Amino acid sequence: MSETYDFLFKFLVIGSAGTGKSCLLHQFIENKFKQDSNHTIGVEFGSRVVNVGGKTVKLQIWDTAGQERFRSVTRSYYRGAAGALLVYDITSRETYNALTNWLTDARTLASPNIVIILCGNKKDLEADREVTFLEASRFAQENELIFLETSALTGENVEEGFLKCARIILNKIDSGELDPERMGSGIQYGDASLRQLRQPRGTTTTQNKQQCNC
Amino acid sequence: MSLQEFEARQVAARCSPTHNAAGQQSRSKAEPLSTTALILQDRPPYDHFLSVNLPAKSAEETQRHRQQYEEMVAAAKRRELVAAERRQQLMTQRFRQEVEISHATLVWNQHILPHWEATRDSRRARDLWWGGLPPSVRGRVWSLVITNELNITTELYEIFLSRAKEKWTNLSSTNDGASLADSLEIITRDISGVLPSLGVFQKGGPYHDLLQSILGAYICYRPDVGYVQGMSSVAAMLILNMDEVDVFISFSNLINRRCQLAFYRGQHQLMLRYFGAFQVFLQESLPRLFLHFQSSGVTPDLYLLDWILSLYLKPLPLEVACRVWDLFFRDGEEFLFRTALGILKLHQDVLLHMDLISTAQFLSRPPVEELLSDRLFSCISATPMMIGNRNWSQNTPIILLTHTREGRTNSGLTPRSETEFLQPWVRLHGENSRFKVYGDSHCDGRVPELALGFLYGLEPDSMEKTADLRFPCLPELALGYLYGLITGED
Repeated sequence: MSETYDFLFKFLVIGSAGTGKSCLLHQFIENKFKQDSNHTIGVEFGSRVVNVGGKTVKLQIWDTAGQERFRSVTRSYYRGAAGALLVYDITSRETYNALTNWLTDARTLASPNIVIILCGNKKDLEADREVTFLEASRFAQENELIFLETSALTGENVEEGFLKCARIILNKIDSGELDPERMGSGIQYGDASLRQLRQPRGTTTTQNKQQCNC
Repeated sequence: MSLQEFEARQVAARCSPTHNAAGQQSRSKAEPLSTTALILQDRPPYDHFLSVNLPAKSAEETQRHRQQYEEMVAAAKRRELVAAERRQQLMTQRFRQEVEISHATLVWNQHILPHWEATRDSRRARDLWWGGLPPSVRGRVWSLVITNELNITTELYEIFLSRAKEKWTNLSSTNDGASLADSLEIITRDISGVLPSLGVFQKGGPYHDLLQSILGAYICYRPDVGYVQGMSSVAAMLILNMDEVDVFISFSNLINRRCQLAFYRGQHQLMLRYFGAFQVFLQESLPRLFLHFQSSGVTPDLYLLDWILSLYLKPLPLEVACRVWDLFFRDGEEFLFRTALGILKLHQDVLLHMDLISTAQFLSRPPVEELLSDRLFSCISATPMMIGNRNWSQNTPIILLTHTREGRTNSGLTPRSETEFLQPWVRLHGENSRFKVYGDSHCDGRVPELALGFLYGLEPDSMEKTADLRFPCLPELALGYLYGLITGED
């Protein structure tokens, strides 16, 4: 599978168990709703190349387990993430109340410049709503997050969430606010741009089939 | 269908003037001929489609066509012959396996099981064991090996089972309803995905209720562990081989093993130590892959977590997983990690060219190939868990115990001062490096990282770079290794 892209961004999907993180990812990658989704153990992966503002960006998405039990494991995946979707369930107050904890984790463990999109998922279950749009957007404002209500079932705003996150990161690169060269930025140059990676044997070189120097 | 028939049909198809459906159908039916015997035909003098006259074949061309045709026929015959041979081989192999299994069953029943304690570690039993246990004795042997340290009785199981049923019927009225409901929901969801190919654990299947009972009783018995995804397939595997109460006893005792408990409870420190120990063996047995993983950021937790929690029922097909279980019960937790090395070795060539995401996705469901069991187990047997003259059980206690000063004290070893700990480093790199190490360790506590770098034979100057690599197992592994191995102390 050879593909070219200008940048590779490491993305996280975080939030409490059962908020629909894996379903959001599945919807984004496959354009389908994932029925009978099991709880994620540790982490699962997805990737997709998107076109944002004339640049091709490969999103390497780490879909983490929300279960408290695996929290210590998933924390180790935060390092070097450029963007994150922080997900809660609009029909569950509990998942909304947990946001502060997740946010602290993300800000302290991932890159300090991490771009976080707050996703109020299960927008389609309006009748069971326990968290209003207004309070969540206030929370987002206070914490400098971009806020969207999404539905992994219908696909509403799912693509927008990921793309918005990627666009903001690209803008920050353009404005110089983010330096992709900096260690742990969560950004790597792809093959399309002829820049050298910090780690030449990095993750982006599937088509090079290069030798491992051992 | 004979060749003549084919030819006749082909001629008919060609003569059919219209392109109606029937004509197309007969053409497509006669398709194989167009790649074989058509070549023998003389060219029709007039092509209706192109409305041109065609030149007749020259003798040379006819000769060439005949030769090509014969080659094609010969090739097809060869292929058929090979396929037949292959079928024959598989049949013989299956037959041989049947014979072997019935012979093995006999030996297990007559010679090993009656004198279990005396024979379980005998050469004969161990060798026979390697090929996998015969299905008819599997459950018994597993029970014998797992034992019942928790002293679970039939009564105890019944108590917890009735408690589970009680709670399930009136979930909302109990205090712990929420967490139990949560567990119950996960169980119900999880069960639907248990060994789907068998179809016996799904709703309406013969073992569905039994599986639910076992898991329900377990979460009442061990609320401190609770339900974790992966448990359902483990319980299902036992159900396939044992009776109800034995399943509960074996399940509870199995989950209570050190390694299993660490993973199911998500005891991060302990898990890290397992990953760390595994890394050491990975580096030793598959150095190229180790480096490739290192550079692409593939850490053992990305695949081991799932493999260990499902006891290989996720990545491997049932019959192969059965054999892994057999050997896990023969050799202990070491075999789980050895299996992991075996899987990595089996797919090493592919993995060496994969990036992080492809690797993680590949390893969560490695391809099922023909003769997977034999190929995997030959990889496993080619991967002895040895470093120097130390094996897993000799290595892990050191890694597990001596990673802290307290650990050393507890394990009866003299705690070492930092100076002593750094001695091997200083010996190799001179007094100056020691200051560098000290300086670093005091400003950002990077001693473990440096120690690990030392293990990998890196120079202090290149440490900046190594900080960029991911060492998930870092502190414990490095210190444990340094204490235990490099200083050459037991």
